[in-house]
Formats: sequence, structure tokens, C-alpha cells
Amino acid sequence: MMWPEYITVAALISIGLYGVMAKKNLMKIFIALSLMETGVNLLLITIGYIPGGTAPIENGNFAKYVDPLPQALVLTAIVIGLSVTALALTLLIWYHSKTGTLEYRRGMRW
Amino acid sequence: MRKVVAIILASAFFAVLLVSFSNIQQADYGEKEYYYQNPINGSYANESVPSHYISNTKNETGAVNAVTAIVVEYRGFDTLGEVTVLFTAATGVSFLLYKTRGGKKRTEANLILKEGSKLVLPFILLTGAYIFIHGHLTPGGGFPGGAVIASGFLLMMLSYPKFFMKEKAVSVTESMAGITFAFIGLLGLVFASSFLQNFLPLGDAGYVLSAGIIPIIYIAIGFKVGSELSSIADKLKEVQK
Amino acid sequence: MVTPVLMIVIPLLAAFLMPLIKKAHRYFTFSILLLNAILSVLLFAKVYNDGAIYETIAGFSPPVGIYLAVDNLSALLALIINLFATINFVTSKKDFKFSMLYLLAVTGATGIVLTGDIFNMFVFFEITAVASYALVASKKDEKAVEGSIKYMILGSVGSSFMLIGIAIIYSQLKSLNLYDIAARISSMDPKMMWLSFSFLLTGIGVEAELFPLNGWVPDAYEGASSNIASFLSFGPSKASIYAIARLLIIFSMSRTYELALYVGIATLLIGEVAAFMQKNEKRMLAYSSIGQMGLILIAFSLIKDTSYAIPAAFFIIVSHASAKSSLFLISGKKGFGGITSKYVGLAGVLSLIGMPPMAGFWGKWYLLMGIADEKMWAVAAVIIFSAVIEAIYFARYLHKNLGEGESEDLGYSIPAAVMVSVSIIMGILPLVYNMAGGVLNA
Repeated sequence: MMWPEYITVAALISIGLYGVMAKKNLMKIFIALSLMETGVNLLLITIGYIPGGTAPIENGNFAKYVDPLPQALVLTAIVIGLSVTALALTLLIWYHSKTGTLEYRRGMRW
Repeated sequence: MRKVVAIILASAFFAVLLVSFSNIQQADYGEKEYYYQNPINGSYANESVPSHYISNTKNETGAVNAVTAIVVEYRGFDTLGEVTVLFTAATGVSFLLYKTRGGKKRTEANLILKEGSKLVLPFILLTGAYIFIHGHLTPGGGFPGGAVIASGFLLMMLSYPKFFMKEKAVSVTESMAGITFAFIGLLGLVFASSFLQNFLPLGDAGYVLSAGIIPIIYIAIGFKVGSELSSIADKLKEVQK
Repeated sequence: MVTPVLMIVIPLLAAFLMPLIKKAHRYFTFSILLLNAILSVLLFAKVYNDGAIYETIAGFSPPVGIYLAVDNLSALLALIINLFATINFVTSKKDFKFSMLYLLAVTGATGIVLTGDIFNMFVFFEITAVASYALVASKKDEKAVEGSIKYMILGSVGSSFMLIGIAIIYSQLKSLNLYDIAARISSMDPKMMWLSFSFLLTGIGVEAELFPLNGWVPDAYEGASSNIASFLSFGPSKASIYAIARLLIIFSMSRTYELALYVGIATLLIGEVAAFMQKNEKRMLAYSSIGQMGLILIAFSLIKDTSYAIPAAFFIIVSHASAKSSLFLISGKKGFGGITSKYVGLAGVLSLIGMPPMAGFWGKWYLLMGIADEKMWAVAAVIIFSAVIEAIYFARYLHKNLGEGESEDLGYSIPAAVMVSVSIIMGILPLVYNMAGGVLNA
């Protein structure tokens, strides 16, 4: 059990969740979402770590490698997070040009 | 009020996450409890999925870097999807922002920045190309390489206010790279038995010309990611006020 | 040679090709979508005759590689999504980038239905989601952008949650293959199993419009142009409710089915009551969609107990996909002006409230049969109560619209009429029950 890593992951994800729930500025909400994504990516990497393992690149000197699959998954997750952020920025530009503000005033109505 | 509720919920979530993570064992993946069952014939394998990757990557794909082998070969379909997500985002950005070019006057950059970035640009592009060509041998690959290339163009955009990407060239590069990726996959369906399967000789592991289709696909991805990221940056720059 | 992978790769290739052939993009997109619909008919015929298809990708046997797992229900859902997407596309009038995004969104929804790997499913979710965010905003007015932003915030939180669920499963089983996970799930610590199940349900539930997560639905449907609202109601939502069904089968514990049943009931009640209170027409249709998604989830949550569950879910999906999409297509004007719109409105409403010659009738009929078998009278009472509310507000809707109105736009109402006819055909052919009754294996 690697407490520091997992505590960081949990803290990142919950800070992100707090930001999404508490903030009204849309830019801050999307920053919080990025924090959450970072937390999840760190979680994946941590799960794949094996104490004493090295990078999974074939090398005669090492016997123990970390799990390569989560690293591949994180590569995908990072690119997806980047795409969502790019689109979010575009929408924020539109929102700002329509309303003149980035504050979200109407709140979440059900 | 809203903040208090948010704090309470977020701390409850923090506790749930910590409790759940405390059950994760940092175990070796070679243990017996991870042995998988083959979905098609139902037989149990005598290895776990990650240990299969570690022990067989070199023989099955010819790549030295196991992460690259997973990204391009074993789970290549995910990567096709991932490239598509980026492509979708780039299309969405240009779809939504196509008529909003800001007409405001921009200040010229400093001479040192202008000449310096001109000097550095070829080296940045070269580094990017190096990273994606050697994806199967060293850490890196199409995505980091493409990002490095895009950062070179971003530098140009920062130092020259009137620098814009040629839209036509960018979109043609993007399309050609995407078509190459999908087309190589289809060739796998024709020459081998399934989509994205390797149909080229594997070569000697550890050389640039090895690992079958991995370098080709990674070069295509490098071009695609590079052009998409620069076009996103370009579009976002156009509306800068 | 019909392989399921072609249904994903050909549209992707077409989307990559689109910037090079800007001029004929509408005919091109239309023919690709039509080709896909034909392929899914062939695929369904093959699956129906020979049993489920497992197609490996990249030549590595799963779970080392990815595979596509196609059974009867997923072939049918792929057919529904692609068929309605083809019909709906006729109404598109925008430039080639819109066609590209539309094609990508449809491909993503098809991929969710066909894939047999949980991370691959996540990737396809993101393709659909990112394309839908852009499509919702395509009208470019304040409401559209606002709906899209709301959808994007909830969707991103959902995708993070889904990834946490996948990470927890992977940490316990070291596998991402749905079948492999299902086979070995019993060796997992029950606490971790619950956690991963709830994270995945939360993540997918955002797209599937389930109860506490559907704040984006009315805004996005109201803001989007009518053909995109129509797309949202047959594309991503149907694919993701099917993903939840697969999830339920994998986790296969009586308590998880129970949880899904409660979520379904809550979604149904909240959706129908909110629709009843709503004045705005498009928002009312959106809330009614939420109610129908709850109904589908209730049907799927009975999958283990009764053999009526799958036909019930299938018929409700068909009825909702055809009727609600066509109602969205003709909405946005004052009243149903012409004869075609009147026919569409009437047939759509009849199918949604479950009147006899329509597919919606068979859905509710099988659902109530299944519930009667299980003697869950409280659930039956809830369903009948919600059907009564539904009938009341749809009667109000028809009363308001059936009179004279603005002249209709045949470009929208004829595709809508074609769509709603599917519901009638499926209602008249109860034979289809035999086809839909095939086993759903994960």
C-alpha cells in the first residue's frame, strides 16, 4: 500500500469535485475538471506500479518491469482530456461573446 | 451555503476514495489469481494479461517498448478511437469558431524572440520527428512527438502575430494521416486475418526498421496529432481579442 | 464478408476523407450511413442464424487484445441507431464539418454497442460525447451554448467517474475484457465490486439520462436544433442504456439489479412528473425522454428474473427512438400545420403512451407481463401511474398542436413520418418477438 500516492489521488479528485460543485465561474469549473482528470490519470499509473519495477522497455539488466497496460490507458485518457478542454475553451469563447461574462448565473435547474 | 454543502460532499467523497484505495494491493501481476479466461473458448490461461505483455512483446510485435506495443498493436483499436476523439475536437473547434477572426491590432514581438524562434523551429520539428520515429525503441511515440511539433508552431504563433497556419495544408495533412492509419488497419484485414493485424516482417528488435507496422502507424499519428494540435491552437488564436 | 469492425472503420475513414471532398459531403455522408444500416441488417441476419460473433482485432486473442462481441440485441441496436441516423440526416442543411461531426457521433454510438472491452467502450463514449457537445452547440445562440456547456461539465465528471470504475476493476482483476471480468468477478472483494459498479453506473448514467445526473437533458434538448435533439434521443442515450445493461449482466448480483430497479423507478417518476409540470414544449419532450429511459432501465433490471425483460426493453427502445425522434423533428413550430405533421404527432404520441397498434404497446405489455410474473405489484402500480400522467400531458400536447398552425416544413415532416412508421411496423409485426428474444450474452 502506497499511502502518499493514493492520498494525492483522492485529494486531487475531491478538490476537482468541490470546484465543479462550488464555483460559479465556468473557467474555474473547467480547471477543476482538469484537476479531476489528472487525479484519475495518477490513479491509473499508481495501480500499475510494482515496487522496485522499472519502465517496461526491454533491457537485459532488469528483471522486474511495471505493468505497461495502465500506462497505455493513461496515454489515451490524457488525449481525451485534452480534446474536451479544447472544445470547452471554444464554448467559453462563445459564451463570453454572447453574455459578456464567464459567470454561470442561472444555476443547475432540474 | 452552496460552498458548505460542496465541502461536505467533497470530503465524504475523499473518505470513500481512501477507503476504496486501501483495499488495493500493490501485488505482482504474475500471481495465480490474475490468470485470465479466454472469452472465445473459455479456457484458462496460465499467465495474467500484464505478464503476457511483458514476456511476449518482443516475439509477437518486434517492439522493445511494451507500452508502444500495447498502444499500437495489442490495443490499437483504442488508439484509433483516441485519434478520432482528437480529430472530433479539432473539427468541433473549427466548426464553432470559423467566422470569428478578431481584427484587433496586435503588438509586434521583440526582435530576439522573433529571430530566436526562427532559429529554434527546425530543431523542434526535428526533435518531434525523432520522437515519433523511434516510438517503438524509446519512451515517446506519436502523441508526444506530435505535441512537440505543435509546440514549435505555437512558438511561431507567439512571436509573429500575423503567423497563421495554412488551413488547407493542415486539413490535408490531418486527413491523409488519418486515412493512412485506417487504411493500414484494413490492409491487415486483407493480408492477415483481422483489422490492424501486422502483415509486415518483424525484423530485428531494437532497430529502427523493425516491429512491422508500428513505426508506420506512429509516423501517421505523429503527423495527425501535430497538425490537429496546431490547428486547434491556431483557431483559438484567431479569436484572441 | 460482413465483419462488425467494418461498421466502425468505414465511417471513420469517411470522416477522415471528408475535408478532401467538401462538395458532395451530404450525399457522401448519407450513403455511408445507409451502407452502415445495410451492413447492420446483414450482421443481424448472420448473428441470428449462427449465434454471437466474436471478432478479434489485431490478431491477438482476447483479453490480451480487444474484441468486438455482437449478439442479437446489439446487432438490432446498431441497426436502430444507423437506420434512424440515416433518415435524420436528410434534414441536415449545414456545412461539411457538421456532416463530419454527425458521422463521428453515430460511429461512436455504434462502437459502444458493438465492443466487448470496457476501456474501448469508454473511448467510444468519448467520441460520441465530444461530437455531441459540438453538435448541441451548432445552433450557436446563447441557449445552445449554455446547454452544451452544461452537458460538457456533467459529461466530463461522468467520464472521470467511469475511468475510476475501470481502474478499480483493473486493479482487482488485471483484465479489461467484459467476458473475462464477468467470468472472474466473483473472486473480487464485494466492497470493491460495489464501488466499481457504482462508479461505472454514475459515469454511464450521465449519458443515459438517469435520475440524479440528468440536469443537462432539458437544457441540451431545448438549446439544440431539432434534428440534433432528435439525434440525441436515439443515438447516445440508447447506446449507453445498452452499456448499462451489459454492465448489469457482468456484475450479475441480485443487489445490483435491485439498485438499477430503484434508479429506474426514480428516473421514471421524476421524468414524468417534471414533464407534466412543464410548459415549454421541447423541455416537456426532454423530460418525457427521461421518463422513458427510466422505463427501459426497469426492463433491463429484470433481465435475470424474467424472459420478458429483453423484448420489453427492445420494444420500448424502438418505440422511443422512432416516436420521440420524430416528435423532436416536427417540434419548434406553432402547431402541426399540415397533414403529415398531424399524422406524425398522433402516431408518435400513441406509441409513447403505449396504445395498441404501436411498438410502445408491446413494450409496456411485455414489461407488465414480466412484472406480473414476479408479483412486484408496487412496480406495476408505479408504471401504470406514470402511464396515466403521460397520457394526460400528451393529450394536452395534442390538443394544443392538432389545430391549425404554421404551414409545415416537408423537409422535416417527411423524414419524421418515415421514422414513426418504423414504430407502427414493429407494432404490427409481433412476430418480431421471436427475433428479439435471443439470448443477450455479455
